Amino acid sequence: MSLQAFLLLAAALFSVGLFGALSQQSVVMLLMGLELMINGLLVAAGGFWLRVSPSGADGQVLVLVAITVMALEMAMGFAVVTALFRARDVDVTDDAGDLKG
Amino acid sequence: MIFALCGTPLLAGTLLLLAAHLPASRLSAGHLLAGHRADRVAPVAGVATALLVLGLAVTVAVTRPVARFALLPGRPGGLAVDALSAVLALTVASVLLAVLLHAAGERYGARFTGLMLVFAGAMLVTVTASDLVLLLMGWEVMGAMSYALIGYRWRDADRVRAADLAFLTTRAADVGLYVAAGFALAGTRSLGLGDLAAAGSPWRDLVAAGVVLAAMGKSAQPPFSFWLSKAMAGPSQVSALLHSATMVAAGAYLLLRLNPLLDATGWADTFVAWAGALTALVLGGVALVQDDLKQLLAASTCAQLGFMMLGAGAGTVVGGASLLVAHAAVKSLLFLCAGSWLTALGTQRLAGLEGAARRRRLTGLTFSAGALALAGLPPLSIWITKDTVLVAAGERSSALFAVALAASALSAAYAARALRIVWRPASAVGRGTGAGALEWLPLTALAVAACVLGAVPWRRVLDAPPAAPGAGGPDVRGLAVSGLLAILVIVIAWTRPRVPQPGWALGWLYLQRAAEAGVVRPVFGLARALAWFDDHVVDGAVRGAARGGLRTARLAARGVELRVDGLVGAVAHATRALAALARRPQTGQLHMYLAQAAVVLAVLVAVAVLAG
Amino acid sequence: METVAFWILGVAAVGTGAAVFAVDSMARATFALLASFLCTGGELLLAGLHYLGVLVILMMIMEMLVMAVFMVMYMMNPAGLMPMTMLHNTRGALAIAGAAFAAMTAGILTVPWPERRGRPPRDPAFALGEAVMGPAMLVMIVIGLAILVTMIATVVLATDRGRYDRDRAR
Repeated sequence: MSLQAFLLLAAALFSVGLFGALSQQSVVMLLMGLELMINGLLVAAGGFWLRVSPSGADGQVLVLVAITVMALEMAMGFAVVTALFRARDVDVTDDAGDLKG
Repeated sequence: MIFALCGTPLLAGTLLLLAAHLPASRLSAGHLLAGHRADRVAPVAGVATALLVLGLAVTVAVTRPVARFALLPGRPGGLAVDALSAVLALTVASVLLAVLLHAAGERYGARFTGLMLVFAGAMLVTVTASDLVLLLMGWEVMGAMSYALIGYRWRDADRVRAADLAFLTTRAADVGLYVAAGFALAGTRSLGLGDLAAAGSPWRDLVAAGVVLAAMGKSAQPPFSFWLSKAMAGPSQVSALLHSATMVAAGAYLLLRLNPLLDATGWADTFVAWAGALTALVLGGVALVQDDLKQLLAASTCAQLGFMMLGAGAGTVVGGASLLVAHAAVKSLLFLCAGSWLTALGTQRLAGLEGAARRRRLTGLTFSAGALALAGLPPLSIWITKDTVLVAAGERSSALFAVALAASALSAAYAARALRIVWRPASAVGRGTGAGALEWLPLTALAVAACVLGAVPWRRVLDAPPAAPGAGGPDVRGLAVSGLLAILVIVIAWTRPRVPQPGWALGWLYLQRAAEAGVVRPVFGLARALAWFDDHVVDGAVRGAARGGLRTARLAARGVELRVDGLVGAVAHATRALAALARRPQTGQLHMYLAQAAVVLAVLVAVAVLAG
Repeated sequence: METVAFWILGVAAVGTGAAVFAVDSMARATFALLASFLCTGGELLLAGLHYLGVLVILMMIMEMLVMAVFMVMYMMNPAGLMPMTMLHNTRGALAIAGAAFAAMTAGILTVPWPERRGRPPRDPAFALGEAVMGPAMLVMIVIGLAILVTMIATVVLATDRGRYDRDRAR
């Protein structure tokens, strides 16, 4: 329950999420990776609140903001996926190479 | 008036030359006709011009006009006629008239007449010029015309070579006059002929040296004599004019004119006197042995000019000028006679002229008058005029007098030898054709002049100052001695026509060979050396620079350029490679971008941590 | 007791998180992710953040249901009947993730973390409410605005026809 334990857990979750975000072809799966990364962020923020300054509410506010951002990000992601699918009938990032240099 | 005198022959001659060259420039029938017409009209026009010039000369001699103008700013000069100029102008005009009359009988074209007129006009400018610039102009135009006239028959390469030689020789000596003009400017700030004697010490001597050099060159004194021998390549009428009143006379005139300058230097007059006396002696010897009538006359001209030089050196302007005039009459006469015989008999070798005088009586008689005058036979002209010179020389030094007297005897000898040959009864005596009026008129007039010119009161004519050398009137004793000597020598030469003919005398003292060996060949050698230097060193340096430049360029192209090019290419390639490399991460794949962003973020964090 | 629960939940969270990318069925991946979030919510509850933990749990259950709907919409093999992998750049992703984890672990273990100051309030939920309605009001406003903008944007992006091609028959 020490700060390092929280942070290690957070780092592990973050790294797993990062791996997912980098390795998944499907946009939905990629979004899952992002969720996991933010998951790690939640844990880290909770740990910091508990082990560094539990008297203030800033850590909690940060967690709240992170949750909200997660939700928004999911919503936007699904909207983009829907638009992409409508336009191109794809849901795989490899097929959306518009940014190719 | 004076402009008319000098301008008339120059203008007429120029016009005739233009007319003569019209067909050359425009080959059309009309112009050809015009050219032929010009050739037909030319003799008449020439004689008319000469008559006009003679009239003008008489007028000028009486009125003595002066025209002052400055050719160079601040150096006033011009044309002026004093006694000496007047006498010479009259001489030139008279001889020109006689020669043109004689030439009219031989059907020369417009070119010949034009050249002769310009020649005489240039001489007139020379004798009336009162400053060095005008004098030089006349002097040079005269030289150029002498070249054109000697090489008149230009289809003959030998004649053209002779003209080249004469022109180059006189031109080489003319440099002295240019030098003299330069030193005169330096010494007196003026180019006036009258101011030269007033120049400072070194300048005066330099001017005198230049003038003497130019005069000796023009007058064919040794070492320049050989050009006169070569000048015989020209027509006889040209020789008649060139040997009497123009060209060679110009040198003597210049020294007579600048007599004060020669006196002022203190050495130039002595030098000129001795040079003249020795010339008279040595070239008299040369004349004595010549086998060719024109060569004999040419050598005699040199000798007689030596007497004039002697007169100028001894300070007797009267003697020199009167001898010049008398000699002009005599020598033009003799040359015209030689020309007549050449036309009639086709030869000028003395051996071929045996009995020539008997065949053409009038020519023979006038030739005899001229030759006897040349011999100094009393009472003919040269006897008296030469005596004035001899007396002045005697006042200088007895050695000079002795040399001059010997030279005088020699002149009698060669004149008598020529006479003896032309009067020798030939085996085949045919009646010669009678001479036309165009021939006998000038010959007779000149013969009369050759006989009586000595009677002219030269002292009064030439305004001689009473203190001048030989001012004591004609020296009766001297006249008697020289006259007797002349008669004696003539008799001896008549009875003993055979003379030894040493090679040095026949070959004009080998002066031409000496000049070729001493001047021409060294100059050519120097020119060749300089050409070699120019070709190999100067040009070689230029070419070497060019070659070096090329080599450097090649080196640069092969070595540096490739490297530079390679560098540029490498930069381009590297840029391309970098660009390709830079495009590789831009796959358009979001996950790739995410991965890159993660890496960059990690790097930034690491940097922040390490730096912090 | 708490420590044991923490570590069990932590390992479960990481394990289910890894399982999300390991399984070859989208449905299973969705539920693995849900499990991971539930474990995280449990961790927050363990840390004393009752409100936030419950919030995470409830929200994630809903979100994963929605996600499942999308899975069915877009993905092949919704029920794992047609196993397939949809991976790319696995090795690079692993390397980057591993490196990130190693770096973070090193940081965690080496950085001298600040000492704990103060004690947790009796009711953290109440403290959070006061902060949100007090000093952190601006954050709340921004979050609200962001939520509104997101709603509009998602609708605009996701509608089949825009407002202006009403006249154009597709």
